Formats: sequence, C-alpha cells, structure tokens
Amino acid sequence: MTVVEQTGAPKTTPPGRARRRPSPLGSKWTPYLFLAPAALFILVFQAVPLLQEVYLSFTRTRLLNPTRSEWVGLDNFNRIFGDPEFHRTLLITVIYVITCVVVAIGAGLVVALLLNKKFRGRGVARALVTVPWAAPGIAVALIATWMLNAQYGIVNRFLDAVGLGVPGGAILDSPRYALPAVLATTIWQLFPFTSVVLLSALQSVPQDLNEAATVDGAGRWATFRAVTWQVIKPTVGLLALLMTIWSLRRFELIWLMTKGGPVGSTETLVIDLYSQAFDSKELGSAAAIGMVGVVISLIVIIGSRLVARAVEKGDVR
Amino acid sequence: MRRFRFGVTARIIAVLVVLGVAVFPLYWMFVTALSSNSDLFADQPRLTPDLGQFGVFVDALAEGKAAGWLLNSLIIAVGTMVVSVGLGIPLGYALSRFSFWGKAVVTVVLLFTQMLPEALMVVPLFALFRRFELLDSLTGLVLVNSAFVLPIVALILKGAIDGIPKELEEAARADGARPFTTLTRINVPLIAPSIAATAVIAFFHAWNEYVFAVTFIFNPDLQPASVGIANFIGELGTPIQTVMAVAFLFTLPAVAFYLLVQKYVVSGMTAGAVKG
Repeated sequence: MTVVEQTGAPKTTPPGRARRRPSPLGSKWTPYLFLAPAALFILVFQAVPLLQEVYLSFTRTRLLNPTRSEWVGLDNFNRIFGDPEFHRTLLITVIYVITCVVVAIGAGLVVALLLNKKFRGRGVARALVTVPWAAPGIAVALIATWMLNAQYGIVNRFLDAVGLGVPGGAILDSPRYALPAVLATTIWQLFPFTSVVLLSALQSVPQDLNEAATVDGAGRWATFRAVTWQVIKPTVGLLALLMTIWSLRRFELIWLMTKGGPVGSTETLVIDLYSQAFDSKELGSAAAIGMVGVVISLIVIIGSRLVARAVEKGDVR
Repeated sequence: MRRFRFGVTARIIAVLVVLGVAVFPLYWMFVTALSSNSDLFADQPRLTPDLGQFGVFVDALAEGKAAGWLLNSLIIAVGTMVVSVGLGIPLGYALSRFSFWGKAVVTVVLLFTQMLPEALMVVPLFALFRRFELLDSLTGLVLVNSAFVLPIVALILKGAIDGIPKELEEAARADGARPFTTLTRINVPLIAPSIAATAVIAFFHAWNEYVFAVTFIFNPDLQPASVGIANFIGELGTPIQTVMAVAFLFTLPAVAFYLLVQKYVVSGMTAGAVKG
C-alpha cells in the first residue's frame, strides 16, 4: 500500500543509508501505527459506550442498580411512543431545531451581506460579531438568566419601559415565553458562526457577474437569486446540516436556563433523556429516547447527502 | 444620489445594531460585576460600568473558591489540548497521506461521533469511570474530553496536511527519512497555524465542558469553573456582582483566543464537516 513515487527520486537506497527502511513509506502497517492511539481513544470513550447505550435501550435498568438489567425487547420504545408527553417532546425538538436552522442562517446571511461591502472599521466589526460564538455556553446561560430575571433583569425593564412587559416579568417561568427566550439565546450564540462562514462564501461571488446582471437591468433581488444564491447554496446546505445536528444535541444552554420546564415547554430530546436518566432514574427509557435522537440525526445526515447528490446531478434546483 | 446616501446611513445603522446585539450581553455581564448594590436594584439601572468597583474582580479571586475552579479548568483544558492534538496529528496524517484498509470506516466514524450528545454518553461512561477509578479525577475528564474533541481536531489537521504538496515529503523520504521524522520535521512546521487553531478548539472545548464535569466530579475542590459558575444559576447566596465577575474572568480568555485564531477555526470546522 505504498504511494507511487512521482518525482523520479532514486528507487534504490542511497549508499550509506543501507540500514534504513527499504520502503520510503515504511511497511503497510505504518498508517495503523499512526492512527492506533487515536482509534483506541475513540473506541473506548465513544464506540463502546454507544453500543452499551444501544443495549440499554432494550432493557429495563434502574440508575440505582445499573448492573441488574432485564431484557425487555421493544418495551421502552413502545412506551415512549405511546406517551403524549414524548409526542410533545418530539414536537418541541422539531420546533427548536427548525427555528434554530432557519433563523440562524437567515440572520447570518443578512449580517454577512452587511459586512461584505467594504467600509472603514470592517475588520473590527467582523471580529466583534464573532464574540457570542466564542463565549462559553455556561456563561451565556448565566448572563441570559440574569438579563431575563423577573425583577431586576434588563430585558424586563426594557420591555416594561416600551409597554410590552410580560405580566409578572417571569419570562423563563412562563410556558408561553420560555421557549422563545431559549431560542433567542441559542440563535444569539449561533448567528456569528453562520455569518462568518457565509461571509467567506460571499467572497467567492464573482463581482463582474453581479455587475453584468445589474447592467442587464436585473433588480437587486433577481441578481441575488441568479448570482449570489447560486454560489452560496452549497454553503447554506452545509450550515443547515451543521445547525440541525448541533441543535439536536444541545444540552447545557437549555438545561441551565429552564431544565426543560416550565411544564415541559422547553423539553427537547436531550433534556428529556437526561431527566429520564437522572431524575426518573430509568436508564433504559433514557437510552431509548437517546436512540430516537441518534436515528433522527442519521436520517438528516443521509438525507442531506442524497439531496446534495441530486443537486450535483442537476435534478433539483 | 439621495437614495444612495440613505442606503449608506441605513447600512451603518444596521451594522451598529448588529454589533450592539452581539456584544451587549457580555458588556452587561461586565457592567453588572461593576455595579454597586444601590445601582443594581435602583429603578433606573446604571448602564455604564462603575470603575470604582473594580476590586470585585480581586475579591472574587481572593475570597471565594473561584481561583481554584479556574485552576482546575486550566489543568483539564491544557491536558485535553495536549492529548487531543498529540493524537490528532498522527491520525490526520494517516488519513491524509496513506490509503489503507478501513480508511473509509475511520472517516465515517469520525463524522458520526460529532452527532452524539454528551448527555447520551454520560451513563455508560459513568460506569466505565467507576470501574477504572476515574471518578473524581481531573485525569478522567482530560481523557473523555480528548476523545470527544479528537475527531474535529483530526479532520481539521487532515485538511491542513492535504494542502501541503507531497513533493516536499517525497524529497525527505528520498533522503531516507522515516515516516515519523517526515511528519514531525516537514509537515508539522508547515501546518503550525492549523495546529494552533485546533489547540485553541481543544483547550476551550474542555474549558467550557459541563456535563461530564458535573457528573463525574464530587469533590468540590476538584470542580472546574464551568460547574462552579453553573451552580450560581438559581442560587441566591452569592452577590450577583461576584457571580458576574467570576463568569467574566471565565469568558474573557475564551473570547480573546477565538478572536486570534477565528479565521483558521472557521475554515477548519467547515472543511472538516464538508470533506471529512
């Protein structure tokens, strides 16, 4: 499995180096030596635990006595899919993920278009925009909770001042406003990433094409659709995939802001699985919920690959 | 002409609004840390930091446990950085330069791991940690954090090595250098910026990590800052200024380092996700 030499380097071992390895790339085992330590790590800390979770999802296992698990087949899955609360969890997960994807990419595109024109101080602006993405999730959850504090939070003070105040002010305690607040915080943290990525995609839009379209009398929107959108479309697709996967697995921001409450109004799959495991102490159902999430992610990944392939072939525009 | 000028003004205002939205929460964290009690609970909150209160940062570090938390975070983060970059360089090299049986499987596994939530893996890992006596140890957190950040580190470094012409290595090999020597002498210096970016990613992955730390650490003296700060949420005993001061000290290095290397981080993360 050696790579073919392309530079016409001498194939024979030079004199004086006869004791070195004869093959320039080492033996066929060389790549395995390079990757073995990393592979061992991933095997021990990711692959094996994941398989254990798959097994747990078919058992009834209590957190307090985890070594005694009883094989129950598909019982866990039957139970969660028959549970209206789990249907709500699925619905909230879908709302959460789709809103994150659409708004984060939409806002990111607007910001990227704003920053794509040359102006004085653009470099500083670009750096400052990335601040939310760089901030640790824990700190974001903390400051969001403080800003949304019912009594002294700046958000409530502002909303009261403009006459839009939430009665009682407790946004995070309200089943109606908690999810929008969590979503706003999530998107605040995500939009810098989408805008920086889209900004770099916009740099590869050919300016002369834009100008040609304008000269031909195309309006701004038409120019955008005909030129810019065609160039950034693959990037938008990639971002949609990343945002979906990240949002499906997001935990600490939601957990620290609301713990999934009030009355389950912010309970996504990951929150549900964590409370099943550590509050209800049912490791089997928790694993089953986790598997539902993993399968959804897999469907999204495979589906996006298929769509990307169809777009490449030109079947879909 | 009028319309054009209006466009410029609108753009400036829009940019300022975006920057305000982006920066305000962290600014507010800073302002809150530097507020006197009377400002904090006044009807009209003070919107600018009261620099006379700067001692809050010193007090936060000196009095509470915050200095210990930050030190624990630092140890976990440095350990994770060293282990994951140390393992990620050879893995990225193998994926970039060799073709071998099982390569496709390795690549798919690396991509697949990025969709696994920590909250899902925490239960089996807890059992594993108990068996190997890694509970209540910073080493345990270093190991697990390294495993979780390793795939993205390796994919970014693979992309970086892909960008180096093979001819350089072939010349070195022709001179009799072994693969490992070629990697350390030729490739590593050339991908130094990407290594720096992955080091920052790995460092702050561990610095920010919460789920494993809160589940695997019971000894309060071993708590990292992420857990300490999270425990402030909903707790009323600590003055909010101290809370915000600690959180600000925790946030500042993350933001500063990301700004330094953001170009490499962004291109690396997307490249890692696209090409695999």
